[in-house]
Amino acid sequence: MSTDTVRTTETAPKVVAEGVRKTFTTRRRGEVVAIESIDLAVQPGEFVSIVGPSGCGKSTFLYIVGGFEKASGGVVTCDGDPITGPGANRGIVFQEFALFPWKNVLSNVTYGLARQGVPRAERLERARELLQTVNLGGIEKLYPKELSGGMKQRVAIARTLAMDPDVLLMDEPFGALDAQTRAVLQIELMEIWQRNRKTVLFVTHSVEEALYLSDRVIVLSDRPSRVKAVIDVPIPRPRDRERLLAHPLYPELHAKIWHLLQNEDVDEDALSGR
Amino acid sequence: MVAEAPPGPRRRPLELELAPILLPMLSIGAVLALWELAPRLGWVSATSVPPGSEVLVEVGAVFRDPTFFPNLGSSAGRWATGFAIALAIGIPIGIVMGRSKVAFQMFDPILTMTYPVPKAALILIFVLWWGAGDLSRIMIIIMGSLIPIIISSYHGAAGLEPRLLWSARALGTGRAASMLRVVLPGSLPQILSGVRLTIAISIFTLLASELLIRQDGIGAYMFTNLDNGQFLRVWAVSVVIASIGFLLDLLYVLGVRRVLPWLEGDV
Repeated sequence: MSTDTVRTTETAPKVVAEGVRKTFTTRRRGEVVAIESIDLAVQPGEFVSIVGPSGCGKSTFLYIVGGFEKASGGVVTCDGDPITGPGANRGIVFQEFALFPWKNVLSNVTYGLARQGVPRAERLERARELLQTVNLGGIEKLYPKELSGGMKQRVAIARTLAMDPDVLLMDEPFGALDAQTRAVLQIELMEIWQRNRKTVLFVTHSVEEALYLSDRVIVLSDRPSRVKAVIDVPIPRPRDRERLLAHPLYPELHAKIWHLLQNEDVDEDALSGR
Repeated sequence: MVAEAPPGPRRRPLELELAPILLPMLSIGAVLALWELAPRLGWVSATSVPPGSEVLVEVGAVFRDPTFFPNLGSSAGRWATGFAIALAIGIPIGIVMGRSKVAFQMFDPILTMTYPVPKAALILIFVLWWGAGDLSRIMIIIMGSLIPIIISSYHGAAGLEPRLLWSARALGTGRAASMLRVVLPGSLPQILSGVRLTIAISIFTLLASELLIRQDGIGAYMFTNLDNGQFLRVWAVSVVIASIGFLLDLLYVLGVRRVLPWLEGDV
């Protein structure tokens, strides 16, 4: 069994966030601070999960890294370059509603390659390979409306992997799936990650999912959010669910993260005077 | 690997299967029976409301009338021209309004002001400007079709799922290119519903223009028959127009379903 856990290598971090702040202006409440300040450095090939109470701005942070939303303050860099917009070096998988409904499975997966000018024959070959990787065969001609939730997310993952991005941003990608499908997709994602070792930023609200997948778990506080804790997950890989649950560290880590999240809800209740 | 089956159709009990066929037949049958019986039993004057069967026979006579088809052709030509121009102008305006605040703030007041104006009221003004010819009648079709097309395109583009656009951007689509690659196809479901409504509206404005301006066309043909006291013929032409409207709608829905198999739900 391999025992590579958290790799504390000396290489330069892949993604760095410094003092990232996000405010919204609403008509009724004026300026609302969604993200107070987030500092974070993600190493190349590291799998980092972000958990936090709902509405804490964890997805917003991911969108800032993706370049879809602009930070109100601070800076995010990828390979040292400040992020100013979306880029092919950062692929994203959303929770849902992101496949192009007007394109069939194959065309969804080849879409990014076509934009890069990859010749048609090569596009098709790579797309078919990727569909095999995510365990989808024989559905190339189907449209998104004909797919189940799990199939849609597999296609979305294949479409993003087709671009071979350095960084994979995942915004609660399994959050809309039933428990069984979710577990299957977690295993598949782990297998893929073991092979290609992308840098992954994974937003979730499932503590178990975060522990199963991640090298580190970032716990965010409630709005206005800050990094409340960074938890290392030194459980050896490759992990499987049974071994994870049986690992002596698992209950402790789970309780710790759960407690950090729990406290948030208490704080919120105290603030609102309940 | 647990394979998931894609959602498929489920079987329904027979009475539920037949209800969507039997109930419409029942209501349509009742209307047709009333139309036949009311004039025959003297409830209404048979001159103003000829029985359905007589009107149906008269439809045959309309089709044998050599002056009918040239009139139908000129109507169809003006309708297609006006409708196509309205689509060509309306869809881009609506989409740009949906994606640009500046464009929205510029166009929205004009739409809000002109929306309640009955477009038929403009016919006489158009005659004043351009005379009682094709131009006036095509313009009125454009005016009648433009607003519903702009509004549906606007809603389609404004309501576009942002994650679709973000996905496209992350997959290497430029800002300008994503208008054609993502915003247009993403807005299509609503645009196509708007176009379907507009087909009915545009036929109405076509007839209004022909009944007021006359000259030629199917509306003018109908009016001439009314002048000559051919009431049965007027009824028969109305039935033909109603059938054409029904067929256009049916063809549109079937055509869209065939050409765009990815669409969810009805047009």
